[in-house]
Amino acid sequence: MSAIEDLVTELSQLPGIGRKTAQRLTFYLLKQPVETARRLADAIRAVRDRVKACGVCGMLTDDDPCVICSDPRRDPSVVCVVEESADVGAIERAGRFRGRYHVLGGRLSPLEGVGPEALHLEHLLGRVGDGSGVREVIIATNPSMEGEVTATYLQQVLRPSGVRVTRIARGLPVGGDLEYADGVTIAQALLARRDMSEAD
Amino acid sequence: MALVTTSAVVLRTYPYSETSKIVRLATRDLGVQSAIAKGVLRPRSRFAAGLELLSEGMAQLYHRETRELQTLAAFDLLVLRRELAQDVGRFAGATAQAELMLKMAPEAPLPGAYDALTTGLDALRAAVPDAVDAVALRGLWLLLGALGFAPALGSCVRDGTPVPTLPGGGQVAFSTAEGGVLCARCAPPPPPTSNQATRLPAQAHRDLVALNDPDAPLPALAPPHAAAHRRLLARFVRHHFGEASTLPALDFWERHAWSPPLPPPSAIPAPAPAPAPAPSAAS
Repeated sequence: MSAIEDLVTELSQLPGIGRKTAQRLTFYLLKQPVETARRLADAIRAVRDRVKACGVCGMLTDDDPCVICSDPRRDPSVVCVVEESADVGAIERAGRFRGRYHVLGGRLSPLEGVGPEALHLEHLLGRVGDGSGVREVIIATNPSMEGEVTATYLQQVLRPSGVRVTRIARGLPVGGDLEYADGVTIAQALLARRDMSEAD
Repeated sequence: MALVTTSAVVLRTYPYSETSKIVRLATRDLGVQSAIAKGVLRPRSRFAAGLELLSEGMAQLYHRETRELQTLAAFDLLVLRRELAQDVGRFAGATAQAELMLKMAPEAPLPGAYDALTTGLDALRAAVPDAVDAVALRGLWLLLGALGFAPALGSCVRDGTPVPTLPGGGQVAFSTAEGGVLCARCAPPPPPTSNQATRLPAQAHRDLVALNDPDAPLPALAPPHAAAHRRLLARFVRHHFGEASTLPALDFWERHAWSPPLPPPSAIPAPAPAPAPAPSAAS
């Protein structure tokens, strides 16, 4: 097999990339200066060699513990549980959460063969039960069916610990338009309404 | 290419590109279909929350028989079935039903199977906690029946001899491979092996008959008996679908992957206690 064919085959294994796109990317790289291809290859190698799961929260990171777990200014008594490392970035961009995280590494999905044993639950239960002062666990799994059932399961397994378990709210997006929102979202927004005195 | 409007249930979704999804739908008029839902992940998508797993709606499909992937033009949500996510057992039973449809239903109209699926999902939505296992078992057996795999429970699957439910004790042989009960003449002598037949206690046979009858009161199954019924159904499905095939949702539901383990089960289901009044969720 030629080197071109090798690269096309490897690229076409990536999600969302078919054979034609893989061919296009291959020929694009061949037309670039050799340094461009080297940098890409080095970056791929480095990410595999250096990135690992944080031993505390499970987030993918260069350092263990990660920058959030090792930051003394973060509140260790509030833990936000998310499905994937990318979700941490989304919440951090909002700039309002000052607690710490726990990354499950997925969500319950029977159809995909993902059960509780595939999630990083023992770490979470250990953090809640090790006397480190966790007062609240915020479940921030996605509002999909699998995310909701994962939240239900987490609530069950955390209940015996006595820790406060909360779920992120669902509702209308900022800048959204009621006229274009679907009925389910509007119903959820109405259910999660709150007194205006609480609003900031 | 025809624009077809049909009621449909979302069985599975796969991300495709940054904004689209491929959905597998159980449709009432076209059987199980794959379709691309373009732009579904955009913030102002016209599909909105409609394409959630197990939700039901009116789907508009650009359909061509020769195509493997249709185009979903619209999906007007009718039922979201959010209640299924409030109990892991309900969700597990529902996804096992979705998996049966995905793996066993044809790409051809099969309204009976569609109706069995939606009836089973709705029964699970309303199931009280103690009845979730029995409701899921009934839904799965009735769906199997609608897909052409109904077990023979009233007469011998081999020679047609009537095999009535026994009022007291005793045992009835059930052959997974042959798809039903065996009369005393056809049943292999005990002890049974996996290739021959399972010996069902009379109570388990009565419960199995009730589970396969949508009009019968739902039997009350204690956890060990429910586990034995789950194993029997899973063995039945795996045999008829092919032992080598993976059925992760059925496996998840069968072993109650979310529950603490039960005491070691006996090989043969023990008689269940006297049936309690049927939970209303069965209807």
